[in-house]
Amino acid sequence: MKLALSIIALILALLGITLSILPFGNLAFAPIIGAFVFGLLAFRASRGDNQKTGLIKFIFLITIIALGITIYRAIFDENIIEEDIESIQNEEESLEDAKKELEDIDIDE
Amino acid sequence: MKSKLSILFLFMALTLSGQNTAIGSSEQLTYTASYRMSGLLTDLAQVTMETSEVATKSGALLRLKCKARTYKKWDNFFKINDLYESYVSPKTLRPYLYKKEINEGTYFKFMQYKFDYRGKIVQSLTRKRGRDGSYYDVRKRIPFESNTLDLVSTIYKIRNLDIHKANVGDSDSFKIMFDNEVTIVNIKLLGKETISTKIGNKECYKLAITIRNKDVLKGNNDNLLWLTADANKIPVYARFKVAIGSGELRIQSATGLKN
Repeated sequence: MKLALSIIALILALLGITLSILPFGNLAFAPIIGAFVFGLLAFRASRGDNQKTGLIKFIFLITIIALGITIYRAIFDENIIEEDIESIQNEEESLEDAKKELEDIDIDE
Repeated sequence: MKSKLSILFLFMALTLSGQNTAIGSSEQLTYTASYRMSGLLTDLAQVTMETSEVATKSGALLRLKCKARTYKKWDNFFKINDLYESYVSPKTLRPYLYKKEINEGTYFKFMQYKFDYRGKIVQSLTRKRGRDGSYYDVRKRIPFESNTLDLVSTIYKIRNLDIHKANVGDSDSFKIMFDNEVTIVNIKLLGKETISTKIGNKECYKLAITIRNKDVLKGNNDNLLWLTADANKIPVYARFKVAIGSGELRIQSATGLKN
């Protein structure tokens, strides 16, 4: 029982840290909360048997790191657009092409 | 005499309602597009809608430019760089040229419609990239009715509707040239709502958008648009449901407004 709970918590913790590094925003909170819940359950299950809790502590460590990264990114990460020269040139070219296309039109109103 | 006067007044009303009263020539609207992932909204891209004047040999036109760009953090995973343009009459918003350039990951597609009102023909050009990296063009001539719009000019045309005269439940329809076919888009007024936006609390018209005989937009009343209930009728918020999921469009800033 404890092993199953620990494995689920570990998978969720690893998913949480992966999502916190990737640009998925607040989506990482879901596995992080899951990892905490399953980690606590695994901790409670192991407490009575006097079993080693090293893996669970490791899970909590990963979860806390993932939580820290997610909160930091939620507060400080800005939505920035990279205005590359290629796109700007493309827009200018598009306008020039449009002007050529519009040379022979009749605006009748 | 009375009937002639009625026809005259009706004609005048129709002419006036076709005039652009909401769109300025240096307007810039910026939005954040969010996509729903596992129930959570994630900011994905910036959408900008800009207007500017363009001088042509035949006269001045209004350039309606819409851009969609993924935020930098997403560019390494999936880069979207789409450009939509419509060159329209500044008075009536009648389109003369429509251009669409889609750059999404490795996918590329360019479409252009040139509206010939004398010949009642749309000269369509589709450019795609083949697997070997070379480009190929497909040209078509599509008959159309003079009240047909393109996708971009439709958004601006909706802003010029006399919504204040409409009752809840009233609807209007537009003919749109979409993927080389004339498609009917229906707009229905669902009511008025005050919503909180980045540009303040705004009283808005809540509209439902549906596309007839096309499965681009999913659901019934799931594609909604909130326009400010003022003379500018700025789209401040939109909710959409498409085949690959659902999302939102929220306004970030609005400058250069006409009114």
